[in-house]
Amino acid sequence: MLEKTKNIARQILEEKKAGGILGLMKGQWNIIQPHIFEAPAELDALVLEPKWLLAKLAMGILRSSPENYKLAVICRGCDERALIELIKRNQIEKESLLTIGIACSQEQAALCLCDRPYPTKLDAGEKVKGVDPFQDERVREFLIGNDKQRMERWADMLKRCIKCYGCRNSCPICICEPCKLEDDVWVKRGVVPAEAITFHLIRAFHLSDTCVACGACQEACPVNIPLLYLQFSMRKTIQEYYGYEAGLDLEIKSPVLSGVFEGPDTDREYPAWVNSMRERDGI
Amino acid sequence: MHTVKMKNPKILIFACKWCGLIGADAAGKKRISLPSQFRVIPVECASLVEPDAVLRALAGGIDGIAVLGCHIGGCRYNNANHTAIKRMELLKDLLDTTGIGRSRLLLSFGTAHEDYQFEEIIKSFFDEVSLLTPLDPWLSSFGVIS
Repeated sequence: MLEKTKNIARQILEEKKAGGILGLMKGQWNIIQPHIFEAPAELDALVLEPKWLLAKLAMGILRSSPENYKLAVICRGCDERALIELIKRNQIEKESLLTIGIACSQEQAALCLCDRPYPTKLDAGEKVKGVDPFQDERVREFLIGNDKQRMERWADMLKRCIKCYGCRNSCPICICEPCKLEDDVWVKRGVVPAEAITFHLIRAFHLSDTCVACGACQEACPVNIPLLYLQFSMRKTIQEYYGYEAGLDLEIKSPVLSGVFEGPDTDREYPAWVNSMRERDGI
Repeated sequence: MHTVKMKNPKILIFACKWCGLIGADAAGKKRISLPSQFRVIPVECASLVEPDAVLRALAGGIDGIAVLGCHIGGCRYNNANHTAIKRMELLKDLLDTTGIGRSRLLLSFGTAHEDYQFEEIIKSFFDEVSLLTPLDPWLSSFGVIS
């Protein structure tokens, strides 16, 4: 997989399709770091592991680079979904981006609870089967039980929060300027731990239809709050009711932006709350 | 087991100006007796109620929130109430995940001049919310350091 990726990258640089390739480099003292490869000779130092989300970095590079600069990004499934969501939100120009898709290993997928551990444009590696997060023991611990038990479990977790804003800063899709989490109207400032309902749930809800389940928030959290688990049930609802998944297609818009009966026709069940209408309109 | 009823649940109602608010007004004009612990905030459209506002209200000590909009086919603003439903349903999922519970949020569509429907909705919502565990102890258990 590594050799193939290197070959594709070399080809891109030799044909001058892109000005640089964003990937991971094993540099001095074996430190792995993101790097923009600009000459084919540099590519010997390219590595693919560990998982390192490059989408937000790519956005920053493209914003500060001159016009007509093209960047190729070596991306995993989650990275590619995040890049697509950023293009949808006009943060990146579609023309200035090339992707080299690599697939994740089964172990990585199980670790990230990823249900789609491969990009749509796969260039190197083998597709492996995704993991259903609702079958995983770690997630079930947070989703089973009655309301009271769940409340206690989450309170234990959210109590640890030191309000470092790492979850927001690491998220590839959190791009709003100004951010509601810094506004006194919504979240009380100057207190630790962060207000549970406002801080965490506003953050989680803003990503309800755009979360690509990359797990960057969770990895960035210094106190190990399982923030990704907040997203699973909303992602599932969107998948089941509207047949939509964030970051798969550039054209399909989020179902939250359209009416109940618009959008692509899937053989979906209508949610229970439109029942009264179905009787009236005979749907 | 004996369930403790919440004494006076506080309810906040976001009512759409064209439907929910007219229903609430009509209920008042007819002198229908209603529980007293609720306040109505008129909004232009149900879709203008951000889910964030619902969360802010919960954090501020409100026990139940109702969002009242127009009939599904009868929105004044290009089916905006459809998006309101979609968002609020997603928010209910999130509330369920954390154990706050989806029954704290009520969605209802279409109460213009339907005062008895308004009465019914509010009364049943009060009954439902008063059975829930109050949020205050949960929130204060965080022990805020400022």
